[in-house]
Amino acid sequence: MATPERVVIAAAGVVTPIGQDLEGFWSSLVTGASGISQIERVRVDDLRVQRGGEVKKLGRIKDWRGVPDCRASRLLIAAADDLCAQTGFRPLPLDPARVGVVVGTALGGVEEGEKALAGDRGRGRLPQALYDGPGWALAKWLGARGPVITVSTACASGATAMAVAADLLRAGEVDAVVAGGYDALCRFVLRGFDALRSLTRDEVRPFDRRRSGLLLGEAGALALLVRERDARGPRLGTLLGYGSASDGFHIAAPEPEGRGLERAVRAALADARVSAADVDMVSAHGTATPLNDRIETAALKRALGRRAHEVPINSIKGSLGHTMGAAAALEAFMCLLSGQRGLIPPTLHLEEPDPECDLDYVPGQARPARPRIMLSTSMGFGGCNGALILEAA
Amino acid sequence: MQAPAIRALGILSGEVRSAVPSADGGSAGAICGPETVDSKALDILALPRPDRPGDRFRRATRECLLALAAVDAMLEDGKASREAIAGERTALLYVTAAAYGASNRAFIEQRGGVMHFAYTAPAVVPAEVAIEFGVTGPYGIVIGGAPATLRAIEQAARLLAAGTCDRALVLAVEIFEECADLYTRHRRSYRWPLVETAACLWLERGAGGISFESARARGRAGGAAGPGERFAAGPLVELREWRARATGGPVELSGRWRGEQARLQWSPENSHARGSAA
Repeated sequence: MATPERVVIAAAGVVTPIGQDLEGFWSSLVTGASGISQIERVRVDDLRVQRGGEVKKLGRIKDWRGVPDCRASRLLIAAADDLCAQTGFRPLPLDPARVGVVVGTALGGVEEGEKALAGDRGRGRLPQALYDGPGWALAKWLGARGPVITVSTACASGATAMAVAADLLRAGEVDAVVAGGYDALCRFVLRGFDALRSLTRDEVRPFDRRRSGLLLGEAGALALLVRERDARGPRLGTLLGYGSASDGFHIAAPEPEGRGLERAVRAALADARVSAADVDMVSAHGTATPLNDRIETAALKRALGRRAHEVPINSIKGSLGHTMGAAAALEAFMCLLSGQRGLIPPTLHLEEPDPECDLDYVPGQARPARPRIMLSTSMGFGGCNGALILEAA
Repeated sequence: MQAPAIRALGILSGEVRSAVPSADGGSAGAICGPETVDSKALDILALPRPDRPGDRFRRATRECLLALAAVDAMLEDGKASREAIAGERTALLYVTAAAYGASNRAFIEQRGGVMHFAYTAPAVVPAEVAIEFGVTGPYGIVIGGAPATLRAIEQAARLLAAGTCDRALVLAVEIFEECADLYTRHRRSYRWPLVETAACLWLERGAGGISFESARARGRAGGAAGPGERFAAGPLVELREWRARATGGPVELSGRWRGEQARLQWSPENSHARGSAA
């Protein structure tokens, strides 16, 4: 079978609780900064846990005219603004019909639905409440007139979006895609996770013996993807492969052995035409729930074999919380920056190793290393498992 | 790209319609045809909540249960057992524009106070199918109307052609009744009536050709499948109608959503679907 055309991640833009652009995000990660704080934008006084990774002020864009009054859309567009500032991608330098938008989200604009049901009859509330509303708002802001696709594979959505974007490029349907993920902290999701008792009152401690749950975060994370033959100038890296698999086990809990994640990793390695021995670093889903981290450790051991014990594995969710639809895209960018800058961000708040999580999770401080091939894993509600294989520039 | 063959198609629809016999006397896509429920004169042709035994389904949402029923209908159409689609060689692609609206609303309004938060995620609909039928292969979930479903069929063709899976299920579910009042606020945006539909298409490797194209277009959401609006489920109903005509030849499916108009031209020449429409 012919080798598929390589897809380059030319640049990335973000808005996160630890930085409102890619450089701020990266420097916060490597210095061990935390973006967790008391949530202020929505009511949380009746919830068990009232903290999260909230973006306190969307300061990048001063003029929001023409942009829907929708938090999710604005996170996405703020990330796009960072991307465009680096790439000069607005106004579009290409035929707008050849530029696509692919975004992943777990929640879409559900907060607009909350407002509409509370009696707010503002124009556009309901169209934005549909989960594909923010993706269309982004396309309009960019001026892109190619395909606009929203995927919602729960917390694996950002990975799925990058893979769909690569497919669009390989199929020749577009010449460039702005792809990634987003999700906003809103009462809907905070109440939901609070009810599930998934949130911790402690720090988020991935792979730590004392880990007791996750905290939610909000973010927008977008990359510019192009075919390698069309790539000009600097680049972050290459998207080599993607794999997905369903658990087929439970609507909310992961399969106890992590078989779905293992299949997704194996499929991604095969798609990328690399072996486990080629992997230099893993960005784990690492939510810090007691179940997730143990299952993920077991799945990585099976999928990577001996290599799982040799490579650094980190989770950045201790720094910014679980940003849901944005998480996989942010983690992919972190991987590529690690390879480019020669530094692997630490797993924040990992202090007491768990005997059941006995791999090298980069505790303490950022580690000097220059990984070339990286694996990034994601797991989500409904047994969605996704894995990306990335190559640093 | 190599086109997939149609193995089976199951559809539940809020319309009043009986199964259309196909050329060989089989049904042209199984239709589990519950009585139409007119939803309080709001022009929504609703489907009742299917009964499904088992404690596991006690809290399952209507859209999840309809998805399971659509897969049952598909298996019936294909005269296949559930084991035939189990395993990691089956891909599952789910498409919806708005089916999650019902569970989102129930959670927001705390109706009954028992809506499990996980059920608000669109991902839970294919998850219930995966759990019930043991489908553990590649998956995808696309949010959007008819163009998204046409893309999902194309994606299924790509997965099959690449050998990533041996069979692919394209599942689409749309329900409207729980949010009827919200849709009426945007009455002019849709082709009424809104027709609740759950559909599942089983594809396998074939020998024909398939091409997909999309462009920006103005106008209301819609597809070519009869009167009314079915959002993402429209193209699968259109496919059922093509099979029912039993004239063979290529099928052209189309649909519009937000600003996109999409078209899928497809020659499922080696389709070995029951009913052998091709």
